Amino acid sequence: MKRAVTAAWIVLVFLMPSHLAWAQGGLEAATAAFKDDVHATAGLTCDSCHLASAGGGGQYAAIPRTAIAPGCARCHSDPAYMRTFDPQVRVDQFAQYLTSGHGRRMAAGEVRVATCSDCHAAHGITRVRDPRAPVAAANVATTCARCHGDAARMAPFGRDAAPPVDWSASVHAAALVKRGDTSAPTCNSCHGSHGATPPGVADVATVCAQCHTREAELFRASPKNAIFEAIGQGECLACHGNHRVESPADAWIGLEEGAVCAQCHDEVLGGAQTIRTVRQQLDRLSAALSSADAVLTRSEEAGMLVDDGRLALREAREHLLHSRVLVHAFAEKPLSDMAAQGAAAARRAQDAGEDAMRDLQVRRRGLSVATLLVLAFLATLGLKIRRLP
Amino acid sequence: MMRGRLQPWLEERLPIADLIDALRHKTVPHHRYSFWYYFGGMTLFLFGIQVGTGALLLLYYRPSATEAYESVQFIMTRVPFGWLIRSVHAWSANLMVACAFAHLFSVLFLHAYRRPRELTWVSGAALLLLTLAFGFTGYLLPWNEVSFFATRVGTDIAATVPGAGDFLVRFLRGGKDVTGATLTRLFGFHVAILPAVATLLIGLHLLLVQRHGMSVPPSVEAQAGKDPGTVRAMPFLPHFLLRDLFAWTAVLALLAALSTFYPWELGTKADAFAPAPAGIRPEWYFLWAFQALKYMPPEVAGINGEAVAVAAMSAGALAALLLPFVAGHTARSRRTVVWLGLVAGAFMTAMTWLALSGPTP
Repeated sequence: MKRAVTAAWIVLVFLMPSHLAWAQGGLEAATAAFKDDVHATAGLTCDSCHLASAGGGGQYAAIPRTAIAPGCARCHSDPAYMRTFDPQVRVDQFAQYLTSGHGRRMAAGEVRVATCSDCHAAHGITRVRDPRAPVAAANVATTCARCHGDAARMAPFGRDAAPPVDWSASVHAAALVKRGDTSAPTCNSCHGSHGATPPGVADVATVCAQCHTREAELFRASPKNAIFEAIGQGECLACHGNHRVESPADAWIGLEEGAVCAQCHDEVLGGAQTIRTVRQQLDRLSAALSSADAVLTRSEEAGMLVDDGRLALREAREHLLHSRVLVHAFAEKPLSDMAAQGAAAARRAQDAGEDAMRDLQVRRRGLSVATLLVLAFLATLGLKIRRLP
Repeated sequence: MMRGRLQPWLEERLPIADLIDALRHKTVPHHRYSFWYYFGGMTLFLFGIQVGTGALLLLYYRPSATEAYESVQFIMTRVPFGWLIRSVHAWSANLMVACAFAHLFSVLFLHAYRRPRELTWVSGAALLLLTLAFGFTGYLLPWNEVSFFATRVGTDIAATVPGAGDFLVRFLRGGKDVTGATLTRLFGFHVAILPAVATLLIGLHLLLVQRHGMSVPPSVEAQAGKDPGTVRAMPFLPHFLLRDLFAWTAVLALLAALSTFYPWELGTKADAFAPAPAGIRPEWYFLWAFQALKYMPPEVAGINGEAVAVAAMSAGALAALLLPFVAGHTARSRRTVVWLGLVAGAFMTAMTWLALSGPTP
């Protein structure tokens, strides 16, 4: 009797209008989202995923989370089938997923980790190159942060939720989000996408070197490389951090409090002289650039054309940038040569500005003389006119 | 010795003595409005400066999209006194437009367009239009960002002319869009066609001024007892000419000061693929028309709003050109002309002020 009442209650609840409306609403939302889905464009229907996953039983069923990735892989790992839509499409996503932190845990039955639909959406899937896609470059961080920025979700896995917030404060986020530079790195640039896994300390430099090639080359040829390897220190991490990669400043180089070098070095340890010299070179070049820029700006504000000076200043700025890159050699020599070239270019810019200012003075003196002559002529003319009958 | 031989030789061949004699006998009315007579001479003087400095600029300027900007840059930075020549050319063009407008309005308000000076007025009004055309065609020549987009906006206006709009735009641009072909075309207008027409018109205008003399305003005539013969006059040579020379010298000093303290800027090179900078606008003397077009609704009685505004401005320009033939000869009609002139002047000033208070590029 009790069982019958319970069964009747369940049936009643299922037949209640609110539940029906909820179920209907979910179906409508899924149907509406699927209209814009890349699969719908390719001619696939609800049956393609739902009946197939249910074993072709003729009834739609929610796909179990552990079955989502294998379900997607039925098509996306089939080169012959995928080629019919796009001859260059990749088919290794599932294989990569199985090697990822997400995939390994999912295979072990942990359903709280990410699977295909968590990142790509379930019914409104768009191509990665579509800027609306949750996995489009500009949206990747937001998509990852849905889980990785949620402290409650991360706690069971022993991970903190700081990385997305840290990344948002980085130079990389500024480039991608503020400047719209889609080549700037986001989560998957370093961690991978389908094969997402945290890079180990030993691999960090390899990850950074994807873009910062010259810095990596210099570092590997520097005396620091062997030392860092010996103490198991992450190459780039020691100075730049990982997610919150901030814009580097010349003030990082030094032995005073707050400088990055001072984390390990002091006046007694070796390298103090190199650190001071490197900083002096950069400071001198920066000051030369500022001085040249100021005189060029003054000339321009006075209406003088100083394009040659601006060109030289641009050259000096490039040398300053190269000098800053050469800091990664952790030696005086290559940097001092580059800084000397920069100083020469800055000197040319300064000279161009000063020449323009001198020229301006000559013009103004010339005008003063001409004005005096003109005034004298006008006075004579005025006298002549007054004396006319 | 040389002069002793040269003078009779020249006099035998050229009517110099007759000309000097005619000028010695020429007189100019002298009254409280005589000051306005000098604006005509000042406009002519500035035109002379334009011809002189323009000829010097031609020695270095290259009229092509790839070289125009660089050649002006070269003139400004490398050619001795190139900066001065270019700045004087640009400032003098602006002063010339201002003087031409002042001359036109003074002639209008002093009713100097009356019989028998109708053709003097028509040739003068046509010269003002030519001056504006000089400004429009010269603006693009440095091929910088502002001039490029302003020319695009300016030539777009021609598209609103019903029927011939598309043809006019193509004619002005030498194609569908503003390109190097437009630059070459406008350069041709600026240095060959317009100067030729202007020289002819200036010749006619001066001839008519000599033929009819300076007009005496009706109020001065009335004060002098309706008899122009009783109005005070001064000899043209040397009295008026020396005063003219005084004004020209002062203008020359002003040009030198403006060019030294405010050298005409070059800006950045035009890039057809770059987005138009915010607040793009034409030279100050076209601002009133540009601003008026902005206030026009998209449609007026089912007709394109811009087309209506362009038609109204064209009708206004035509009416101004033909003013002596449409204005009456009574005191009342003269008052109407003064009021219309004041309204037109106030409208142009207000529109210019509104445009200038907007964003700058």
